[in-house]
Amino acid sequence: MTLHPRESRYGRREFIGRSAAGIVGLSSLSTFLAACGGSDNGGSAAELQIASPGNPVTQPLFDDNPMIASGLEPESGTLRIYNWNGYLDPKIKKGFAKEYGVKVEETFFTTTDEAVQKISSGAVDYDVFFPTQDRVGRLVLGKRLQPLNLEYIPNLKNVWPSLQDPWYDKGSQYTVPYMTWTTGIGYRTDKIEKTPLDYANPYEIYWDEANRGKMFLLDDGRDAPAHMLLKNGITNINTEDPEDIALWEKELKSLYDMNVKVSTDDYTNIPEGKAWVHQMWSGSAIGAQWYLPEGVGTDALGFWFPADGVGTIGSDMMAVPKDAQNPVLAHHFLDYLLDVKNGYSNFANYVGYQPPLTKLDPDTLVADGVVPKNLKTAIVRESDFDKGLPLTELTPDGQVNWQNAWAEFRAGV
Amino acid sequence: MTRVRTWLGNPWAKPRFLVLFTALYLVWSIVPILIAIRFSFNEGRSRSTAQGWSLRWYTGDPDASVLHDPTLHSALAQSLRLAAIAVLVTVPLGVALAVGLTRWRGRGAGTARGISLATLVTPEIVMGTALLLVFIELLTFIPLGTVAQAIGHITFSIIFVVIIVRGRLLAIGPEYEEAARDLGASRLQAIRLALLPMLIPAVVASGIIVFAISMDDFVISAFLSSGTDTDTVPVRIYSQGRTAPTPALNALATVTLVLTIVIALVGFLLWRGVRAARGQTGSTVGEFAALDAEGVR
Amino acid sequence: MSEPGRRVGADGGRENRFWAGLALPGVVWLCVFFLLPFYVILCVALGSLDPILLTPAPEWNPLQWNTAAFEFVLDNLFTPGAAFETVFVRTFFYVLIATTLSLLIAYPVAYYVARYGGRWKGLLLVGLIAPFFISYLMRMLAWINLLQDDGWVNSVLIWVGILDAPRNWLDGRASSVILGLVYGYVPFMILPLYAFLDRIDRSLLEAARDLGASPFQAFRLVTLPLSTPAILAGVVIIALPMFGDYYTPDLLSGAPQTSLIGNQINLYIRGGQQVPVGAALVVVLMVFLTVLMGYYLFATARAQRRLGG
Repeated sequence: MTLHPRESRYGRREFIGRSAAGIVGLSSLSTFLAACGGSDNGGSAAELQIASPGNPVTQPLFDDNPMIASGLEPESGTLRIYNWNGYLDPKIKKGFAKEYGVKVEETFFTTTDEAVQKISSGAVDYDVFFPTQDRVGRLVLGKRLQPLNLEYIPNLKNVWPSLQDPWYDKGSQYTVPYMTWTTGIGYRTDKIEKTPLDYANPYEIYWDEANRGKMFLLDDGRDAPAHMLLKNGITNINTEDPEDIALWEKELKSLYDMNVKVSTDDYTNIPEGKAWVHQMWSGSAIGAQWYLPEGVGTDALGFWFPADGVGTIGSDMMAVPKDAQNPVLAHHFLDYLLDVKNGYSNFANYVGYQPPLTKLDPDTLVADGVVPKNLKTAIVRESDFDKGLPLTELTPDGQVNWQNAWAEFRAGV
Repeated sequence: MTRVRTWLGNPWAKPRFLVLFTALYLVWSIVPILIAIRFSFNEGRSRSTAQGWSLRWYTGDPDASVLHDPTLHSALAQSLRLAAIAVLVTVPLGVALAVGLTRWRGRGAGTARGISLATLVTPEIVMGTALLLVFIELLTFIPLGTVAQAIGHITFSIIFVVIIVRGRLLAIGPEYEEAARDLGASRLQAIRLALLPMLIPAVVASGIIVFAISMDDFVISAFLSSGTDTDTVPVRIYSQGRTAPTPALNALATVTLVLTIVIALVGFLLWRGVRAARGQTGSTVGEFAALDAEGVR
Repeated sequence: MSEPGRRVGADGGRENRFWAGLALPGVVWLCVFFLLPFYVILCVALGSLDPILLTPAPEWNPLQWNTAAFEFVLDNLFTPGAAFETVFVRTFFYVLIATTLSLLIAYPVAYYVARYGGRWKGLLLVGLIAPFFISYLMRMLAWINLLQDDGWVNSVLIWVGILDAPRNWLDGRASSVILGLVYGYVPFMILPLYAFLDRIDRSLLEAARDLGASPFQAFRLVTLPLSTPAILAGVVIIALPMFGDYYTPDLLSGAPQTSLIGNQINLYIRGGQQVPVGAALVVVLMVFLTVLMGYYLFATARAQRRLGG
């Protein structure tokens, strides 16, 4: 049966799903949720386990991906780090380089998708990588990360207990925590008239015409849609319901009239005045103070997060890719960053994101002058994780559907 | 005032509109660069408002200047490295290809010519994607980074050498080699002793072009980069230009520009020297500009 | 001028093989690093995806090619209002407008330098060649500096009185992107145009003037038709690469509404979407450009026939 090219056989949504399945292959349907965690079949047909706070997962270990032996000397090569931009203090890199007598080099990625793709392709070998919670399961299953030998990382004990044994990687087999953050709305108090607090539904500020051309969302295919879902009162930000996906896609597209832009450089866009309203990570709000031009004080910065704590929350991790050339050195680097002094310095002087270290008392941060008073809302506490909404992994089909909808939005249709 | 009026009213003078238009074009084309260079000497952090004069972004600033920021001077080093490799490999390869393609008769020759020309009209993103995929999926023994980038630069530059040399070849004709052959030289000797010396200007010109193209390349270098250590200057400008750029970026671009011009000048003077030695007259620059048209036929 | 290789006799074949041999290294290089990669693109586009990591799994055997990615792309491309269709149409129009504007700028300049350059020709040519040696990105960087809120463009426009307040030129306007494309690509059109126009026989023009044509008529009836091959060549040289441009919209805009087909390809190939879709997009783009190229060859051949070859 021949169809006119304009006559699509299916509705668009169905077509996306069907062709996605066609591309991915029928096998995807069989790699579905494993009901309980703790699969110890280290074989080829391992299934992707979707971890969530209510469903903690112990990642599988594989025979052909062993951890490094204990007691080895660190290598002397160049440590290659793959990280977000502005997420690691150059002084920390210098300090580590000096202490171990090596060179440290950092390459940046701009989106999670891009990073995961590069790591997954196996075309480049980095020693240290900073993944996000919603991709760990895949990277482990795809044998892209090597299991950590925690004997090299004694500083792990400095971390919040809940994150030493997190739900996405029980026993910290592959990852150790790096920074915690929430996703809120950042804004310039000196440029906009109405802040999110002036709205009944704070997310409506994205549609404020006064900010046309100065409104940014995060260039992240999970964070940006999450705010669209939350605007509509949907708290399951990991939904795979096609109707929800269509809803957030529609909401995002309605922002074209606002000349919306996407970027992960929120920590410079706001202080530089490129953006007046920016979907923002909490750490960027704090870090923005170091990028303010002369004459603009920290009171120009504002950050909003739901008062009831029902907003996106998460933590980023550090991991060692499987093909790292300097794995022992990498382990030492992870340990170096978990040292309280280094972690605090990294946070308080450059990054602005909070490491989940127990000795770091959130309540003293304002008094110590690290966090400006008007940015108190950007501080993250361990208790925030009780009510906050983490981004969890999506099933293969769900991932494809989300990505397709996100790509459609990025196409500016 | 009368002079201007006379100039305006002179019907035999060059068309005033065209003069003005061309002048305006040159201003529009060059002035933004000059302004960018001016801001590279800014004392402050701004790249759009004048804030004093200093060498801060070249050498002074201990973290962000071109001298001190490792990512910036490694980008410069990588750009020069790739350009050097590109010239050293592409020019001989391209000259041989040009001579062979011009003289080769037959259907194979036509196809080969077509393939070479195809590289000219292929958008860089297509070539970048093609090379990226081939190195990741098939020729995996070639790692991303300098080797891959060099291969990419050579592949898309070779047609420029072919065009330039072919143009010169068609103008020279086969008489000199035939004379050499008649005098007993083998084919290779004839090429080496009779043809190549006449080709030197074209070879030098194509070397300059390959160098400039390689320094300027963005897409291929970005796609095939293995990380910050193999980023080139345009890649750095692009990635840093979108986040928190400082005038150091302008400084880096200025340094790159100066180096490119210096190298091009060296080549150009070489070429002029060779021409003068041969007794050729006329504008060298004109000859340079006319080279590309001949070879496309 | 006689061309070698036309020699008949026993030596002819060896001669030809010699030249072929000389060209061989270059041809082999191009086959391995230009043609082969295209086959790889095809195999990736017609392959599948690893379900977990969503990495591409190319299919080397033509008998097992999976057309799902192509179906997705083609359907999306021909459905009005769908993502690829919109982006493609948008790209086409941006390129059309930018190329036309470039032609309108490049032609007078090239014409002036070719015909009236005179004493200044060398210097003018240096000015025209200069942009080749200035990195494209540096030129874009220069423009971004000028287009910023506190940059010169706004300052000048306000001083002249056209604007009251600084306008945000970098907020996602089509005009900024198109003008950026023009600024970036015009130099690449001027040199070939100059080279062709320089070659036009002056005596033809003088003959026309002698026959009573006004300068404008001489231009319209003699120069313009003679420069058709030049114009076609110039258009091809900048339009085809422009179709693949993605960094100009990224730098001058960053908004989804100005994203071009190059941005989509970049997103799918390097941004972590499904690589087979990106590969399929690349194939479709190349087919489209090949058709355009074919039209160019046909039009040039026709123009040359009209002009007497």
